[in-house]
Amino acid sequence: MKAWLKFLPTIVNKAIMSDAIKIYDIDFNILRAHINPRGGKMLVEISGPQENECIQYMEEQGIEVIPIMRVVQKDSEKCVDCGACVSLCPVKAICIQDDWGVEIDNQNCIGCGFCVNSCPTKAISLME
Amino acid sequence: MKTIQEINQKIKNGDAVVVTADEMTSIVAQNGAQKAAEEIDVVTTGTFGAMCSSGAFLNFGHSDPPIKMTKTFLNGVEAYSGLASVDAYLGATQPSQNPEIGLHYGGAHVIEDLIRGKEVELIADAYGTDCYPLKRVETSITLDKINQATMVNPRNCYQNYAVAINSTDETLYTYMGTLLPKFGNVTYSSAGTLSPLINDPYFNTIGMGTKIFLGGAEGYIISEGTQHATENERRNGVPVSASGTLMLQGDMKKMNPEYIRGATMPKYGPTLYVGAGIPIPILNEEVATRTAISDEEIICKIIDYGVPRRSRPVIRETNYKELKTGKIEIDGIEVPTSPLSSYKRSKMVAVELKEWIEKGDFLLTNPVRPLSSKGNIVKPLEISKPLVMVKDIESKPVIMAYSGEKINDVAKKLVDNNINHLPVVDNDGKLKGIVTSWDIADGVAKGKSKLDELMTRKVIIAREDESVDIIARRIDKNNISGLPIVDKENIVKGMITAEDISRLIGENLKDENGGESI
Repeated sequence: MKAWLKFLPTIVNKAIMSDAIKIYDIDFNILRAHINPRGGKMLVEISGPQENECIQYMEEQGIEVIPIMRVVQKDSEKCVDCGACVSLCPVKAICIQDDWGVEIDNQNCIGCGFCVNSCPTKAISLME
Repeated sequence: MKTIQEINQKIKNGDAVVVTADEMTSIVAQNGAQKAAEEIDVVTTGTFGAMCSSGAFLNFGHSDPPIKMTKTFLNGVEAYSGLASVDAYLGATQPSQNPEIGLHYGGAHVIEDLIRGKEVELIADAYGTDCYPLKRVETSITLDKINQATMVNPRNCYQNYAVAINSTDETLYTYMGTLLPKFGNVTYSSAGTLSPLINDPYFNTIGMGTKIFLGGAEGYIISEGTQHATENERRNGVPVSASGTLMLQGDMKKMNPEYIRGATMPKYGPTLYVGAGIPIPILNEEVATRTAISDEEIICKIIDYGVPRRSRPVIRETNYKELKTGKIEIDGIEVPTSPLSSYKRSKMVAVELKEWIEKGDFLLTNPVRPLSSKGNIVKPLEISKPLVMVKDIESKPVIMAYSGEKINDVAKKLVDNNINHLPVVDNDGKLKGIVTSWDIADGVAKGKSKLDELMTRKVIIAREDESVDIIARRIDKNNISGLPIVDKENIVKGMITAEDISRLIGENLKDENGGESI
């Protein structure tokens, strides 16, 4: 699952994440992070058999976990299905469907934002 | 053999057989061209791509008191108004004059906003005459309020086009979209099998005056477009590079924003996505055969846009079937591809045009004259004031460091010669890296002693046959102050620095101002 993890200033100096990874043996991938001594948030992908226990642990330790369904959003009114973004996606999360429409697979998306900056009609935006 | 009059009679009777160009490909493959020519009356084509050479003539109507507009802005985008008093031509690629908006909004976006029925701010200045005394007008317009809005696109519907790739180490932002470094992706722009001029490659039916689909409304072909070319190499009848073009016109007041969209190619600028479709009357077997062309039979060339010259090197040939699979092999490596025109909307154009004809709403036209099909060659623009080339300004003997050299010796070279950069070469004089006084200081601070450990290996270089203007842009883009000049064998010939270029500009200004520098 992908989720935003929100950190309060009181817990930024605790090694919660490394403990969580060690205890629950999860795969943990940081997609984006903005954390400083005043707190912050990070967008992560967590997977493994003990995923749910791990999330419960993080919440007990004071991290607010906000699961997200979408990393980027495509405005179908603005999108003209030109496909300029397709070859720029580093994880092949954007493809051209059988009807030649352009679709983004949010499961694979890592939120790098390359498609956002390359879209001629500014149809793609990063979810915050 | 059929005539356009006979086909029109069938359209009026509601029994014309109309298919789209991609459908025609499979019909001819199954039944043969002869049978298809008997059964099919019209093939509709379509394209929906970024067509920079587009724009619109607008007539705003006269104010009271009247004005003769000389500088005209629509939502901050300049429209050329050096024609009469209240006429202007709004070009699609003109960016906003507001530096904060810049390339994100331009003429193309104004055109889309007008078609959407939005209010657009009009500001115009004038010098004032006895008959047009007003010197400034600030108002707003809508498409309904103005007298005419005629889209006139000098160059649309390119017959085939180059496919773009980038061999350099940096990302390039081009009219062919974002090109990733080191052959990271490929972009192409033709709709292939649906593309209008690919389905009538010798202009047997398409000509001046042909009625077409433009932006969701009826439009017309005015003539060949600018840069129309007829002498390029052909394969399966179709040119393998950008060739024929069309100048189109249509009434913006009847257009549909689904088929006209303002867009911005990142860090390149505004452009207009135009939906255009041309009906091809199937007059005979020859015309039927041409409209049956498949993506696989349309050959095109992958061009290296990393070379910023008029003539760019060809990396390899491909075809639209391969491009549309989404990946292509370059030197044994799979490279993802991106279409820049929307095949989905190209198909929508062809289907909508087909429906118009089937309903009897759209009759075909005999061209007033054929498009030129011979002797059109695109001429280059020669620059009469010669460009200053890199080899023209290198003067000082080049000082170099050798990769095995000790830091102390290199530091001494920099100080003795009062310079900041040293190219690092091997024993054959080939470029291995570059070292700056900062690198030396940094290396000393970190206790390094060998040049190998602290030089920059990825060096931005200049070649002797490049113009100084290109180097100035490279210095600016990479935020560096100097680069080594190398020959084809990668042997260092000299250094060119920002100071060299400043000095050169200073000298040129002196020449132009009779010895006085400004």
